[in-house]
Amino acid sequence: MPRRSSLPVTFVVPTLVILLILSMVPTLYAIIIALQNRELSSAAYSWVWFSNFVDLFSDRRFLNAVWVSVKWEVVTVVATMVVAIGLGVLMFEVASPRLRNLYCLLFIIPVLLPRVSAAFVWKFAYHPLYGIATYPYRLLTGGLIFDPLSKPSTALFAVASVDVWQWGLFFAVIVLKLLETLPPQPIEAARLDHAKRWQIHAYVTLPMLKAPLISLMFVKMIESLRSFDLIYVMTRGGPGVATETLDMYAFSQGFIESGKVSYASAMAVLMMIATVITFTMLWKRVQA
Amino acid sequence: MRLGRIIAKAVLAFAGFVAVFPLLWTALNSLKNSVDIITRVPRLVFTPTLANISYILGRDSVITGLYNSVVACGTAVLIGVVLGLPAAYAVARYPNRWAGDIQFFVLSLRFLPPVAVAIPLMVIWLQLGLYDTLPALIVTYSLLTISVIMWLAIPAFQGVPKEIEEAAFVDGYGAYAVFWRIALPVAARSLIGAVAFSFVLVWNEFLIALMLSSSNAKTLPIVASELSQQGMNVPWGILNASVVLLSLPPLLFLGVLSGFLNSVFRQKKT
Repeated sequence: MPRRSSLPVTFVVPTLVILLILSMVPTLYAIIIALQNRELSSAAYSWVWFSNFVDLFSDRRFLNAVWVSVKWEVVTVVATMVVAIGLGVLMFEVASPRLRNLYCLLFIIPVLLPRVSAAFVWKFAYHPLYGIATYPYRLLTGGLIFDPLSKPSTALFAVASVDVWQWGLFFAVIVLKLLETLPPQPIEAARLDHAKRWQIHAYVTLPMLKAPLISLMFVKMIESLRSFDLIYVMTRGGPGVATETLDMYAFSQGFIESGKVSYASAMAVLMMIATVITFTMLWKRVQA
Repeated sequence: MRLGRIIAKAVLAFAGFVAVFPLLWTALNSLKNSVDIITRVPRLVFTPTLANISYILGRDSVITGLYNSVVACGTAVLIGVVLGLPAAYAVARYPNRWAGDIQFFVLSLRFLPPVAVAIPLMVIWLQLGLYDTLPALIVTYSLLTISVIMWLAIPAFQGVPKEIEEAAFVDGYGAYAVFWRIALPVAARSLIGAVAFSFVLVWNEFLIALMLSSSNAKTLPIVASELSQQGMNVPWGILNASVVLLSLPPLLFLGVLSGFLNSVFRQKKT
């Protein structure tokens, strides 16, 4: 590589400047708006400093949204990883190379779908009377009605299942590819020691893949933050507030119910601070 | 052991079925009349109709949404390519002490909750008089495409054997010529995957488009979701047809993206 070239500067600087502008302007503006009392209906506003934030902590719906978001994050990340590792290992164990290719292709399809499409597909499938996914239940129980999306106890899991349908299957493909990159010797050695198949994976292959699997989980944690589309289409945060995550609540405060843009922005700022701090710390740890 | 294998295969086959069947079912429903959809027992045999699809394609809102989606996503991806690829190449090939920080900054843009970006941007675009226009949407999406393309292209450029580029320098190529004539073509396969991925990402984007458009700049996902807001009164066949239309473009990239995955992991192996 030539030492003296203008290339790094001409290639990197314009892009970084644009990225910085595009990201910092909205971020700073979000904080400014959060310190004011803007509303959609009027152009007048004044500075109220931290009162939006103070109000948030006595807003029970906000606290509920925090709790729902945390639940959503845990449920989707854990279920995705379990499905991914389970199916990945199964493909590695019992599928012939041709079948593996077929499964890989099939398993990538759901994640490519727009979230809005995926949400609709399953909203129809979960319909209590005419849905294809509730049909087996109607068949077995002789026509009893099961409506997963409108029961507070099941709604979150029903929506989360769509997320896992998209990401769990996709990650199964990645887990398989990771298993295929492993050297065969340790697996052979374990087999010679009469280790059972599941033992080989639990004690040999998966520990060898610890680092990439943690990175994968990290990616899923970031993507799980983008739950809005699914929830917006499938339940709108309902029934009641059972599936109202933070972005859903911020959206409905800012745009649907009251047009309190500043209040919504305060919520968004808190979310932003929490995620940036958490993920920066996690990332440094993953890299170390 | 025998039984275990059979169960394992059955589980896999079931997973494969679950992966595609709901989508196929939606596609089938888009060819049905309402009588064949609203049934307690799902119907596999029916007289197909193209009425739903032609209704969808005949609606102005859908065609406008399609046009907006294509223009907004296409332009944003183009901007992402023009700004993202060279920057990725420079970070990959001319590492300096900021290279790690730059990579982290690009990744950290993904941590930003979309709602935190969309609210201030809405206010900003309103004040600039650009709210509900395609340029506003394109600029916003460029943040996504540039950062994603850059993030994925850095390893792609690092995968190009250094020897090829060094040989080109010896032959008297300048730094820019090496990028254009050597690095770009050699890494092309992975780069196309990265670009396709960024396209799928913005095509599927919903929250930002929802907040930044009210009538003129609505993208296809927004139009599709609005069809259902009229409640379940809208014939299901029509809704299903709009879901199919919305899902087709990303699925066109299935081949490219699975090839991209394979090439990423082949690199790791060697």
